[in-house]
Amino acid sequence: MNKPLTPLTSHTESALLQLPLRLLLGGLMMYAAYNKIPAIQSFAEAIKGFGVLDVESHSELIIIAAFVIPWFELIAGLLLLIGLRGRSAALGIGLLLIMFIAGLLNVIFGDIDADCSCFGDANIVCGSSVGWCQVIRNLILLIPAGYLVWRGPGRLSLDHILSGSNQSPDTHAYQAQSSGSVVDQDPSRA
Amino acid sequence: MRLIHTFTGLLTIIGAAFLFATAHALITDPVNIDPPPTNTGDGSVTPRDPGGNEPDVIESPVPVTTNDTPDSDLPDDALLDAPVPEGMLTLRESHSLFMQDVYFIDARHEHEYEEGHIQYAFWLPSTLFDTDSDRAYGVVDSMPPDATVVIYCVGGECDSSKNTARRLASHGFTDLRIMGVGYAEWVEAGFPISEGVEP
Repeated sequence: MNKPLTPLTSHTESALLQLPLRLLLGGLMMYAAYNKIPAIQSFAEAIKGFGVLDVESHSELIIIAAFVIPWFELIAGLLLLIGLRGRSAALGIGLLLIMFIAGLLNVIFGDIDADCSCFGDANIVCGSSVGWCQVIRNLILLIPAGYLVWRGPGRLSLDHILSGSNQSPDTHAYQAQSSGSVVDQDPSRA
Repeated sequence: MRLIHTFTGLLTIIGAAFLFATAHALITDPVNIDPPPTNTGDGSVTPRDPGGNEPDVIESPVPVTTNDTPDSDLPDDALLDAPVPEGMLTLRESHSLFMQDVYFIDARHEHEYEEGHIQYAFWLPSTLFDTDSDRAYGVVDSMPPDATVVIYCVGGECDSSKNTARRLASHGFTDLRIMGVGYAEWVEAGFPISEGVEP
Protein backbone atom coordinates (compact mmCIF):
# COMPACT_ATOMS: atom_id res chain seq x y z
CA MET A 1 0.00 0.00 0.00
CA ASN A 2 2.76 2.43 0.93
CA LYS A 3 5.32 2.02 -1.77
CA PRO A 4 8.44 4.20 -1.48
CA LEU A 5 7.90 7.70 -2.73
CA THR A 6 10.20 9.41 -5.15
CA PRO A 7 10.30 13.19 -5.45
CA LEU A 8 8.74 12.93 -8.89
CA THR A 9 5.80 10.71 -8.01
CA SER A 10 5.19 12.58 -4.80
CA HIS A 11 5.17 15.98 -6.52
CA THR A 12 3.20 14.68 -9.50
CA GLU A 13 0.57 13.11 -7.30
CA SER A 14 0.31 16.24 -5.23
CA ALA A 15 0.01 18.55 -8.22
CA LEU A 16 -2.24 16.38 -10.36
CA LEU A 17 -4.43 14.67 -7.79
CA GLN A 18 -4.30 15.93 -4.25
CA LEU A 19 -4.33 19.64 -4.96
CA PRO A 20 -7.17 19.58 -7.54
CA LEU A 21 -9.22 17.25 -5.36
CA ARG A 22 -8.69 19.50 -2.37
CA LEU A 23 -9.71 22.55 -4.37
CA LEU A 24 -12.79 20.76 -5.70
CA LEU A 25 -14.01 19.31 -2.43
CA GLY A 26 -12.99 22.24 -0.25
CA GLY A 27 -14.45 24.73 -2.70
CA LEU A 28 -17.75 22.85 -2.91
CA MET A 29 -18.04 22.70 0.86
CA MET A 30 -17.32 26.40 1.19
CA TYR A 31 -19.86 27.19 -1.53
CA ALA A 32 -22.47 25.07 0.28
CA ALA A 33 -21.75 26.90 3.52
CA TYR A 34 -21.81 30.29 1.78
CA ASN A 35 -25.37 29.58 0.62
CA LYS A 36 -26.57 28.17 3.93
CA ILE A 37 -25.12 30.54 6.53
CA PRO A 38 -27.27 33.56 5.54
CA ALA A 39 -30.36 31.30 5.36
CA ILE A 40 -30.33 29.31 8.59
CA GLN A 41 -34.12 29.39 8.92
CA SER A 42 -34.51 27.77 5.49
CA PHE A 43 -31.84 25.20 6.26
CA ALA A 44 -33.53 24.33 9.57
CA GLU A 45 -36.78 23.85 7.67
CA ALA A 46 -34.96 21.63 5.19
CA ILE A 47 -33.49 19.48 7.97
CA LYS A 48 -36.96 19.20 9.50
CA GLY A 49 -38.31 18.20 6.09
CA PHE A 50 -35.91 15.26 5.93
CA GLY A 51 -37.90 13.66 8.73
CA VAL A 52 -34.82 12.20 10.41
CA LEU A 53 -35.43 14.05 13.68
CA ASP A 54 -38.87 14.35 15.21
CA VAL A 55 -39.75 18.03 15.37
CA GLU A 56 -41.86 17.58 18.51
CA SER A 57 -39.12 16.05 20.63
CA HIS A 58 -35.92 17.14 18.89
CA SER A 59 -36.57 20.65 17.66
CA GLU A 60 -33.51 21.95 19.54
CA LEU A 61 -31.30 19.37 17.82
CA ILE A 62 -32.62 20.45 14.42
CA ILE A 63 -31.82 24.09 15.19
CA ILE A 64 -28.35 23.23 16.54
CA ALA A 65 -27.64 21.17 13.40
CA ALA A 66 -28.85 24.03 11.22
CA PHE A 67 -26.27 26.35 12.78
CA VAL A 68 -23.37 23.92 13.17
CA ILE A 69 -23.40 22.06 9.83
CA PRO A 70 -22.81 25.15 7.62
CA TRP A 71 -19.99 26.37 9.87
CA PHE A 72 -18.46 22.91 9.89
CA GLU A 73 -18.64 22.87 6.08
CA LEU A 74 -17.00 26.29 5.91
CA ILE A 75 -14.15 25.51 8.31
CA ALA A 76 -13.48 22.00 6.97
CA GLY A 77 -13.70 23.27 3.38
CA LEU A 78 -11.28 26.12 4.07
CA LEU A 79 -8.79 23.87 5.88
CA LEU A 80 -8.92 21.33 3.07
CA LEU A 81 -8.48 24.06 0.50
CA ILE A 82 -5.29 25.38 2.09
CA GLY A 83 -4.14 21.95 3.18
CA LEU A 84 -4.03 22.60 6.90
CA ARG A 85 -5.10 19.59 8.95
CA GLY A 86 -6.00 18.21 5.54
CA ARG A 87 -6.63 14.63 6.59
CA SER A 88 -8.90 15.71 9.45
CA ALA A 89 -10.85 18.05 7.18
CA ALA A 90 -11.26 15.34 4.53
CA LEU A 91 -12.37 12.86 7.18
CA GLY A 92 -14.91 15.33 8.54
CA ILE A 93 -16.27 16.06 5.08
CA GLY A 94 -16.46 12.33 4.33
CA LEU A 95 -18.43 11.68 7.52
CA LEU A 96 -20.71 14.60 6.72
CA LEU A 97 -21.35 13.20 3.24
CA ILE A 98 -22.20 9.80 4.73
CA MET A 99 -24.63 11.51 7.10
CA PHE A 100 -26.21 13.37 4.18
CA ILE A 101 -26.54 10.16 2.19
CA ALA A 102 -28.30 8.49 5.13
CA GLY A 103 -30.70 11.44 5.35
CA LEU A 104 -31.36 11.37 1.60
CA LEU A 105 -32.08 7.64 1.70
CA ASN A 106 -34.50 8.22 4.57
CA VAL A 107 -36.38 10.74 2.43
CA ILE A 108 -36.37 8.51 -0.66
CA PHE A 109 -37.49 5.32 1.07
CA GLY A 110 -39.88 7.21 3.34
CA ASP A 111 -41.56 8.69 0.26
CA ILE A 112 -41.22 12.17 1.77
CA ASP A 113 -41.50 15.31 -0.33
CA ALA A 114 -38.44 17.31 0.72
CA ASP A 115 -35.97 19.80 -0.65
CA CYS A 116 -32.31 18.88 -0.53
CA SER A 117 -30.95 22.34 0.36
CA CYS A 118 -27.55 20.69 -0.11
CA PHE A 119 -26.16 23.94 -1.50
CA GLY A 120 -28.77 26.23 0.00
CA ASP A 121 -31.00 27.53 -2.74
CA ALA A 122 -28.47 26.74 -5.48
CA ASN A 123 -28.56 23.50 -7.43
CA ILE A 124 -25.40 21.74 -8.58
CA VAL A 125 -25.94 18.91 -11.07
CA CYS A 126 -29.17 17.80 -9.37
CA GLY A 127 -32.49 19.55 -8.89
CA SER A 128 -33.80 20.85 -5.60
CA SER A 129 -36.11 17.94 -4.77
CA VAL A 130 -34.45 14.98 -3.09
CA GLY A 131 -33.81 12.03 -5.38
CA TRP A 132 -31.23 9.44 -6.36
CA CYS A 133 -29.21 12.13 -8.15
CA GLN A 134 -28.16 13.67 -4.83
CA VAL A 135 -27.25 10.26 -3.43
CA ILE A 136 -25.04 9.49 -6.44
CA ARG A 137 -23.47 12.97 -6.32
CA ASN A 138 -22.57 12.53 -2.66
CA LEU A 139 -21.23 9.03 -3.30
CA ILE A 140 -19.00 10.46 -6.01
CA LEU A 141 -17.80 13.19 -3.65
CA LEU A 142 -16.93 10.50 -1.11
CA ILE A 143 -14.23 9.21 -3.48
CA PRO A 144 -11.97 12.29 -3.27
CA ALA A 145 -12.71 12.59 0.45
CA GLY A 146 -11.61 9.00 1.02
CA TYR A 147 -8.56 9.45 -1.19
CA LEU A 148 -7.47 12.55 0.73
CA VAL A 149 -7.93 10.78 4.06
CA TRP A 150 -5.76 7.97 2.75
CA ARG A 151 -3.03 9.98 1.02
CA GLY A 152 -3.19 13.24 2.92
CA PRO A 153 -3.24 16.75 1.46
CA GLY A 154 0.05 16.29 -0.43
CA ARG A 155 3.14 18.42 -0.78
CA LEU A 156 1.40 21.53 -2.02
CA SER A 157 -0.23 22.14 1.32
CA LEU A 158 0.26 24.09 4.52
CA ASP A 159 0.59 20.82 6.40
CA HIS A 160 3.72 20.06 4.37
CA ILE A 161 5.14 23.57 4.63
CA LEU A 162 4.55 23.83 8.37
CA SER A 163 5.85 20.35 9.11
CA GLY A 164 9.41 21.76 9.42
CA SER A 165 11.45 19.59 11.78
CA ASN A 166 8.33 17.62 12.65
CA GLN A 167 8.20 16.26 9.11
CA SER A 168 5.26 14.41 7.68
CA PRO A 169 5.68 10.75 6.77
CA ASP A 170 5.81 11.61 3.08
CA THR A 171 8.59 14.12 3.66
CA HIS A 172 10.49 11.62 5.75
CA ALA A 173 10.24 8.98 3.03
CA TYR A 174 11.39 11.40 0.35
CA GLN A 175 14.42 12.63 2.29
CA ALA A 176 15.42 9.14 3.29
CA GLN A 177 15.29 8.00 -0.32
CA SER A 178 17.27 11.01 -1.48
CA SER A 179 20.02 10.12 0.95
CA GLY A 180 19.90 6.46 -0.02
CA SER A 181 18.85 5.15 3.37
CA VAL A 182 16.25 2.46 3.90
CA VAL A 183 12.84 3.79 4.68
CA ASP A 184 10.56 2.17 7.18
CA GLN A 185 7.20 2.27 5.48
CA ASP A 186 5.23 0.85 8.34
CA PRO A 187 2.24 3.22 8.48
CA SER A 188 1.76 2.53 12.17
CA ARG A 189 5.07 4.27 12.84
CA ALA A 190 4.21 7.27 10.79
CA MET B 1 -0.01 8.36 15.83
CA ARG B 2 -1.34 9.63 12.53
CA LEU B 3 -4.78 8.34 13.46
CA ILE B 4 -4.78 10.21 16.75
CA HIS B 5 -3.51 13.34 15.00
CA THR B 6 -6.31 13.06 12.44
CA PHE B 7 -9.04 12.59 15.03
CA THR B 8 -7.81 15.42 17.26
CA GLY B 9 -7.83 17.60 14.16
CA LEU B 10 -11.41 16.55 13.45
CA LEU B 11 -12.46 17.33 17.02
CA THR B 12 -10.81 20.73 16.69
CA ILE B 13 -12.83 21.45 13.54
CA ILE B 14 -16.06 20.34 15.24
CA GLY B 15 -15.25 22.52 18.25
CA ALA B 16 -14.54 25.52 16.05
CA ALA B 17 -17.80 24.93 14.16
CA PHE B 18 -19.75 24.91 17.43
CA LEU B 19 -17.99 28.08 18.53
CA PHE B 20 -18.83 29.97 15.33
CA ALA B 21 -22.36 28.53 15.29
CA THR B 22 -22.95 29.74 18.85
CA ALA B 23 -21.70 33.21 18.00
CA HIS B 24 -23.87 33.19 14.89
CA ALA B 25 -26.94 32.12 16.85
CA LEU B 26 -26.40 34.97 19.30
CA ILE B 27 -26.36 37.68 16.65
CA THR B 28 -28.98 36.41 14.21
CA ASP B 29 -32.77 36.17 14.35
CA PRO B 30 -34.09 33.18 16.28
CA VAL B 31 -34.85 30.10 14.21
CA ASN B 32 -38.38 28.80 14.58
CA ILE B 33 -39.57 25.42 13.35
CA ASP B 34 -42.67 25.09 15.50
CA PRO B 35 -45.94 24.32 13.72
CA PRO B 36 -47.38 27.55 12.28
CA PRO B 37 -50.59 29.00 13.76
CA THR B 38 -53.22 28.24 11.14
CA ASN B 39 -56.99 28.34 10.98
CA THR B 40 -59.25 25.68 9.57
CA GLY B 41 -62.44 25.53 7.58
CA ASP B 42 -64.02 28.15 5.38
CA GLY B 43 -65.89 30.08 8.07
CA SER B 44 -65.42 33.77 8.61
CA VAL B 45 -62.91 35.20 6.15
CA THR B 46 -61.30 38.51 5.29
CA PRO B 47 -61.11 38.69 1.50
CA ARG B 48 -58.73 40.68 -0.65
CA ASP B 49 -61.00 43.69 -0.49
CA PRO B 50 -62.78 43.80 2.87
CA GLY B 51 -63.96 47.38 2.33
CA GLY B 52 -66.19 46.49 -0.57
CA ASN B 53 -64.34 48.63 -3.07
CA GLU B 54 -63.24 47.38 -6.43
CA PRO B 55 -60.92 44.45 -5.86
CA ASP B 56 -57.25 44.83 -6.62
CA VAL B 57 -56.85 43.73 -10.17
CA ILE B 58 -54.09 41.21 -10.43
CA GLU B 59 -53.66 40.60 -14.08
CA SER B 60 -51.84 37.57 -15.32
CA PRO B 61 -49.28 38.65 -17.89
CA VAL B 62 -49.64 35.53 -19.98
CA PRO B 63 -52.64 33.78 -21.45
CA VAL B 64 -54.63 32.26 -18.67
CA THR B 65 -56.06 28.80 -18.70
CA THR B 66 -59.21 29.36 -16.78
CA ASN B 67 -61.89 26.86 -16.06
CA ASP B 68 -64.33 28.93 -14.05
CA THR B 69 -66.44 26.27 -12.54
CA PRO B 70 -70.00 27.15 -11.59
CA ASP B 71 -71.17 25.66 -8.31
CA SER B 72 -73.62 23.44 -10.13
CA ASP B 73 -70.80 21.87 -12.08
CA LEU B 74 -68.46 20.97 -9.23
CA PRO B 75 -66.56 17.69 -9.38
CA ASP B 76 -67.73 14.72 -7.37
CA ASP B 77 -67.74 14.72 -3.60
CA ALA B 78 -65.03 12.11 -3.33
CA LEU B 79 -62.51 14.58 -4.75
CA LEU B 80 -63.89 17.65 -3.02
CA ASP B 81 -64.09 16.04 0.41
CA ALA B 82 -61.07 13.78 0.15
CA PRO B 83 -59.46 13.32 3.58
CA VAL B 84 -56.76 15.83 4.44
CA PRO B 85 -54.34 16.09 7.39
CA GLU B 86 -55.92 17.49 10.53
CA GLY B 87 -56.22 21.26 10.60
CA MET B 88 -55.97 21.67 6.83
CA LEU B 89 -58.50 22.62 4.19
CA THR B 90 -60.28 20.15 1.97
CA LEU B 91 -60.56 20.91 -1.71
CA ARG B 92 -64.17 21.99 -1.21
CA GLU B 93 -63.21 24.43 1.55
CA SER B 94 -60.30 25.74 -0.51
CA HIS B 95 -62.53 26.35 -3.51
CA SER B 96 -65.12 28.02 -1.33
CA LEU B 97 -62.46 30.41 -0.05
CA PHE B 98 -61.27 31.02 -3.60
CA MET B 99 -64.79 32.04 -4.54
CA GLN B 100 -64.76 34.46 -1.60
CA ASP B 101 -61.75 36.17 -3.16
CA VAL B 102 -59.14 35.50 -0.51
CA TYR B 103 -55.39 35.50 -1.13
CA PHE B 104 -53.74 32.32 -2.34
CA ILE B 105 -50.01 31.62 -1.96
CA ASP B 106 -48.10 29.00 -3.93
CA ALA B 107 -45.20 27.60 -1.88
CA ARG B 108 -43.84 25.18 -4.48
CA HIS B 109 -40.72 25.54 -6.62
CA GLU B 110 -40.58 28.45 -9.04
CA HIS B 111 -40.65 26.28 -12.16
CA GLU B 112 -43.71 24.45 -10.86
CA TYR B 113 -45.42 27.77 -10.20
CA GLU B 114 -44.60 29.10 -13.65
CA GLU B 115 -45.92 25.94 -15.30
CA GLY B 116 -49.25 26.50 -13.61
CA HIS B 117 -50.77 27.74 -10.39
CA ILE B 118 -54.11 28.57 -8.83
CA GLN B 119 -55.42 31.70 -10.46
CA TYR B 120 -54.14 34.91 -8.87
CA ALA B 121 -51.91 32.99 -6.43
CA PHE B 122 -48.65 34.63 -5.53
CA TRP B 123 -45.41 32.66 -5.47
CA LEU B 124 -43.89 32.74 -2.00
CA PRO B 125 -41.82 29.78 -0.82
CA SER B 126 -40.26 30.36 2.58
CA THR B 127 -36.77 30.28 1.07
CA LEU B 128 -37.59 33.43 -0.92
CA PHE B 129 -37.23 35.45 2.28
CA ASP B 130 -33.55 34.45 2.31
CA THR B 131 -32.74 34.38 -1.38
CA ASP B 132 -34.72 37.35 -2.72
CA SER B 133 -36.10 39.24 0.24
CA ASP B 134 -37.23 42.22 -1.89
CA ARG B 135 -39.51 39.95 -3.91
CA ALA B 136 -40.73 38.18 -0.78
CA TYR B 137 -41.55 41.41 1.02
CA GLY B 138 -43.18 42.69 -2.14
CA VAL B 139 -45.71 39.90 -1.78
CA VAL B 140 -46.00 40.33 1.99
CA ASP B 141 -46.58 44.06 1.70
CA SER B 142 -49.31 43.57 -0.90
CA MET B 143 -51.51 41.74 1.59
CA PRO B 144 -53.06 43.22 4.75
CA PRO B 145 -52.00 41.20 7.81
CA ASP B 146 -55.60 40.45 8.78
CA ALA B 147 -56.48 39.05 5.36
CA THR B 148 -57.33 35.40 4.93
CA VAL B 149 -54.43 33.69 3.18
CA VAL B 150 -54.61 30.16 1.81
CA ILE B 151 -51.26 28.48 1.23
CA TYR B 152 -50.70 25.38 -0.86
CA CYS B 153 -47.89 23.23 -2.20
CA VAL B 154 -47.93 19.75 -3.69
CA GLY B 155 -50.36 18.55 -1.04
CA GLY B 156 -50.52 16.18 1.85
CA GLU B 157 -47.67 16.45 4.29
CA CYS B 158 -45.45 18.70 2.17
CA ASP B 159 -43.65 21.10 4.45
CA SER B 160 -43.43 24.07 2.09
CA SER B 161 -46.88 25.45 2.97
CA LYS B 162 -46.17 25.20 6.68
CA ASN B 163 -42.81 26.91 6.27
CA THR B 164 -44.37 29.80 4.36
CA ALA B 165 -47.20 30.01 6.92
CA ARG B 166 -44.62 30.21 9.71
CA ARG B 167 -42.85 33.09 7.95
CA LEU B 168 -46.12 34.95 7.34
CA ALA B 169 -47.17 34.43 10.96
CA SER B 170 -43.90 35.99 12.07
CA HIS B 171 -44.83 39.02 9.94
CA GLY B 172 -48.12 39.45 11.75
CA PHE B 173 -50.53 37.52 9.55
CA THR B 174 -53.36 36.19 11.66
CA ASP B 175 -55.63 34.17 9.37
CA LEU B 176 -53.47 31.60 7.64
CA ARG B 177 -54.94 28.41 6.21
CA ILE B 178 -53.24 25.50 4.53
CA MET B 179 -54.68 23.42 1.73
CA GLY B 180 -54.49 19.76 2.61
CA VAL B 181 -54.60 18.83 -1.05
CA GLY B 182 -52.15 19.95 -3.67
CA TYR B 183 -52.17 21.80 -6.94
CA ALA B 184 -52.69 18.56 -8.87
CA GLU B 185 -56.06 17.98 -7.17
CA TRP B 186 -57.06 21.58 -7.90
CA VAL B 187 -56.32 21.02 -11.58
CA GLU B 188 -58.08 17.65 -11.56
CA ALA B 189 -61.18 19.38 -10.23
CA GLY B 190 -61.07 21.81 -13.13
CA PHE B 191 -60.79 24.91 -10.95
CA PRO B 192 -59.27 28.18 -12.27
CA ILE B 193 -55.56 28.20 -12.94
CA SER B 194 -53.01 30.53 -14.50
CA GLU B 195 -49.61 30.12 -16.08
CA GLY B 196 -46.54 32.33 -15.84
CA VAL B 197 -45.87 34.84 -13.11
CA GLU B 198 -48.32 37.03 -11.24
CA PRO B 199 -47.13 40.63 -10.95
